[in-house]
Amino acid sequence: MNDTIVRQSLRTYITREFIRDESYPLTDDEGIITGGLMDSFALAELAVYVEKQFNVYIPDPDLTVAKMDTLNQMVARVLRG
Amino acid sequence: MSLSLATIGIIALLALPYHLLPGRIRPWLLFISSIIAIYLLQPALPIRFSDFLLPTAALMLTAALWWWSRAPDQRASREDALALGLMIAIILGLSLFRFVDAEYRLTPSRPPDPLALLIGLLIIIGGVVVIIQIIKRLDGLRADAINRVPTIHLSLLIVVIVALFITLKTEPVAIALSGLWRSATGQDVTLASPIDLNWLGFSYVAFRLIHTLRDRLTGLLPSLTLREHVTYVLFFPAYIAGPIDRAERFVEDLRKVASGQWSVASENAVNIQQSGQNRELSSPSSTDHQPPATSHFQSALYRIALGLFKKFVLADSLASGLALNGVNAEQITSAGWAWVLLYGYALRLFFDFSGYTDIAIGLGMLFGIRLPENFNRPYLKPDITAFWQSWHMTLSNWARFYVFTPLSRWLLRKDWSSTIVTVLLAQVVTMTVIGLWHGVTLNFFIWGLWQALGLWIHKQWSDRTRKWYRGLKERPAQKRAWTIVAWFITFHYIVLSWVWFALPGFDQAVVFFGKLVGQ
Repeated sequence: MNDTIVRQSLRTYITREFIRDESYPLTDDEGIITGGLMDSFALAELAVYVEKQFNVYIPDPDLTVAKMDTLNQMVARVLRG
Repeated sequence: MSLSLATIGIIALLALPYHLLPGRIRPWLLFISSIIAIYLLQPALPIRFSDFLLPTAALMLTAALWWWSRAPDQRASREDALALGLMIAIILGLSLFRFVDAEYRLTPSRPPDPLALLIGLLIIIGGVVVIIQIIKRLDGLRADAINRVPTIHLSLLIVVIVALFITLKTEPVAIALSGLWRSATGQDVTLASPIDLNWLGFSYVAFRLIHTLRDRLTGLLPSLTLREHVTYVLFFPAYIAGPIDRAERFVEDLRKVASGQWSVASENAVNIQQSGQNRELSSPSSTDHQPPATSHFQSALYRIALGLFKKFVLADSLASGLALNGVNAEQITSAGWAWVLLYGYALRLFFDFSGYTDIAIGLGMLFGIRLPENFNRPYLKPDITAFWQSWHMTLSNWARFYVFTPLSRWLLRKDWSSTIVTVLLAQVVTMTVIGLWHGVTLNFFIWGLWQALGLWIHKQWSDRTRKWYRGLKERPAQKRAWTIVAWFITFHYIVLSWVWFALPGFDQAVVFFGKLVGQ
């Protein structure tokens, strides 16, 4: 598990499942929730995906807009384990 | 949610000598003040000694749950013993007001006999210690019991708090309990009422305690001393009506106070209003902490003044005739007046509660504690999801952390789960919990369902229109028009939900809905 793999995997998942447009040019520091690309309820779905894909459990209080708004934040949180 | 001008003034004045004290004394002063405040703020109750015993129970419960929710490797220290000793001394000290004339008492009514109280406290503390030791012995028989979190005990304690909460918030059960208590004190049982059990601040205390127990279970709670735990749960500016802070964040500020540094909340208070960002958990940066400056106190006083204006001028003016209540809902006959009362109620509720929060945050700032924000222009939001991220934010965040997210994660892990059904189920459970938190009644339940349905419909809508909505970026005039329409729909969906919130009876609410459409 490294930065590139996690980033690519999350980017694909988010553009496919939440943005519903895999051609969307999602940048690393773009506000995904504050920018209206996914809603904060979807963070629970993202957390279950991360559990299944990377075997990393993100505690519930970390699943907030403030902490998980950008791809950079999400990747950093997954890599922290 | 009553806090008089005099009380606010006294608390603000206390901040002056507080700043002259050495840093290490200040957290102890906050601890002592918070304990005394729960007795001072408690309204007088009809059942003999209950307005003294209920704050004492809050204090004992908080201390007992600290003991249970300590980190596995945390041993009680001398400081914890000192804190416990101080707690008992304050309780006994306050009970001496029994011998003081009513007009000079700090307690709401005549306290119980100090000697009987001391014996009672010793029996309760001894009983709790014996029970804990027996359970620990039983646990000690198992090899894996050393240094592990007692999962079952903590989960059971959460169930106990929830059961206590439901008891107090369910009218028939509360009346039965009040009747039992009245018969024990030899008072008239026929007068039993839920008002007898008006345990000030318990709703907030319960949610803070559930947070600490749950976070100990998941390993997120830092080690807290007894003093820190009690100060967090009972912190006087936030005792009556929140905000519901998080322990790790609160204690960070508390420790800064001891080291002579301060959490500068002033800017965040104003900035959050201006930035429009949803700050769910305030995460202070390292530059946030510095010795207090004059501007810090100015900001605190400005925040208190703003809160006083909202609460005592705007909210109270609206409450005197222009806001919906059980009486005027029956009196009005025209649809126009029905709408005026409903809008009036929506504004009164916001000004009252957000004004109270402003006061609590301002008072916290005076003592170096930055309480989290609770409101961020909720009525201006263009969708119901954004509304719930900006209305009573600390309660909705609590419900998200401890109800919505764990429940939806648990459901989503199941192979048979469907996202649409999972979200609906999790929304319904979460929002009805928030509804019933205000009181276990049919109207609060319907209010919760109403919110859940709104959130679910909005999610389905936004999931399906996201691409179209993004495209509006290139058509600003259309986007603006759509935002106005969306705001109008959201605002009225919320305003109409207050009918269930404001009126006590189901039939009364239905009749009022009829009046809104001229029936």
